[in-house]
Amino acid sequence: MKRWKRNLALPVTMVAIALGFLISLQVQTQKNVSAAEQISAQRMIQMKAVLSNSQEQNAQLQKTHRELSERLDLARQQVGTDPQLLVHLKQLQMHAGTQAVEGPGIQISIDDRNKKVLFPLRTDDISRMINTLKLAGAEAISINDQRVVASTAIVLSGSSTILVNQVPINRSEGIPYELTAIGDQETLLDYFSKLEAVTLKQNGLTVSIARKTICIPSFKGAYSFQQAKPWDALIE
Amino acid sequence: MYLDKKERALLGLASVLLGFLFIILIKAQGVAGSQVSLQETAVPSLIKTEQENQQLSTENEKIQQELLKYAQGQSASALLNQQVQEARMNAGLVALTGQGIRITLDDSTRVATGDEDPNIYLIHEQYIREILNALWNGGAEAIAINGQRVTTFTEVFCGGAFIQINGTRQMPPYVIGAIGDSYNLSAALKFYGWDRLGEFQELYGITRKLEVINDVTIPAGKLRDYQYAEPLKEGS
Repeated sequence: MKRWKRNLALPVTMVAIALGFLISLQVQTQKNVSAAEQISAQRMIQMKAVLSNSQEQNAQLQKTHRELSERLDLARQQVGTDPQLLVHLKQLQMHAGTQAVEGPGIQISIDDRNKKVLFPLRTDDISRMINTLKLAGAEAISINDQRVVASTAIVLSGSSTILVNQVPINRSEGIPYELTAIGDQETLLDYFSKLEAVTLKQNGLTVSIARKTICIPSFKGAYSFQQAKPWDALIE
Repeated sequence: MYLDKKERALLGLASVLLGFLFIILIKAQGVAGSQVSLQETAVPSLIKTEQENQQLSTENEKIQQELLKYAQGQSASALLNQQVQEARMNAGLVALTGQGIRITLDDSTRVATGDEDPNIYLIHEQYIREILNALWNGGAEAIAINGQRVTTFTEVFCGGAFIQINGTRQMPPYVIGAIGDSYNLSAALKFYGWDRLGEFQELYGITRKLEVINDVTIPAGKLRDYQYAEPLKEGS
């Protein structure tokens, strides 16, 4: 030990103290982190359980729905319901959005996570795009699998969550925004690329439009009329 | 600077330890970060599935009731007529009356002078779209602009001096009628951009008026033909 230099003793001691302090701090942090991790993992497991539970329920309900629909069709045939009226009903339900539809149309994919993008897509942009699709005569429109109906409101919740039909549509993976529209492909393509795609691309967003056979889900919300009464009924 | 063997060993040990600590710290941080985002993605899909479940179960209930009525031998056509009536109401093909609000928007009487932008004195399509969005968000049951019922296919498109709504040319003043809870409707409006229009009223003299009315009447919309969209077969 005699070979130790005197003038080194103080710094080495200080370094040793600092190191000891650091190590104990690290151990403490590690404990906290592992506790937090555990809580987080637990939450994840719970969340997954709830989600899978609800998905299971969903599958079950869908199965029942199919069976019931088949029975209903059968029952309608047996009692001899007017098929023309049934077609009319379907048409009305398509109009109201409560009937899922399929047909030729376009699929628009928009990616705003690019580095060149100054402003990510806003709710105004989405309503404007939907408006343009309506102008182009779209027969059914959806954004991120939410059917657009008359009463569809597109609003911002918090700083970045977009609600359509009161449901958050933000995606964490894949393409952030997917609009689909059924209608005349040429007209839809023409209107959208000229009126919308040009400005979006100028702002640095990635836009791609594809012609496709589109399936659009039904409106999952509920129509309720509490204040409104049919007008004709009052006159009669 | 000369260090003897022991000192060098000490220094080496200290560096290794420090590096080790750092790595642990970084790892702990990274794990905590990724967990949060995983949780965030699960929430929207959970909400969506839950909402779907709710709709499916109400739909199933409806079908079951209908089946029951068939089983009891009720008149099939009466039942179908009832459904058609409901779908017509949802689709916005029935004239309605009820409590609600009336909004009047008009261009300013002032004329732009000098370098002023004439656009600031006009009512623009996006004001109307914003108001519609806010009203639907506030739970409006039916809306009409200048006597044009707002349905799923209603576009509000600026065509220069006029605004195209439902394929018709509408000129200012724009009178928007909405049936719904007048308190909720006014609250939703104030949340989304209504105050900004108030500023424009003070600064540029545009008209922005809100009245609460006990009997707003909303005309019926028109049913449109479908050339491309077809109802999706159940179970596919």
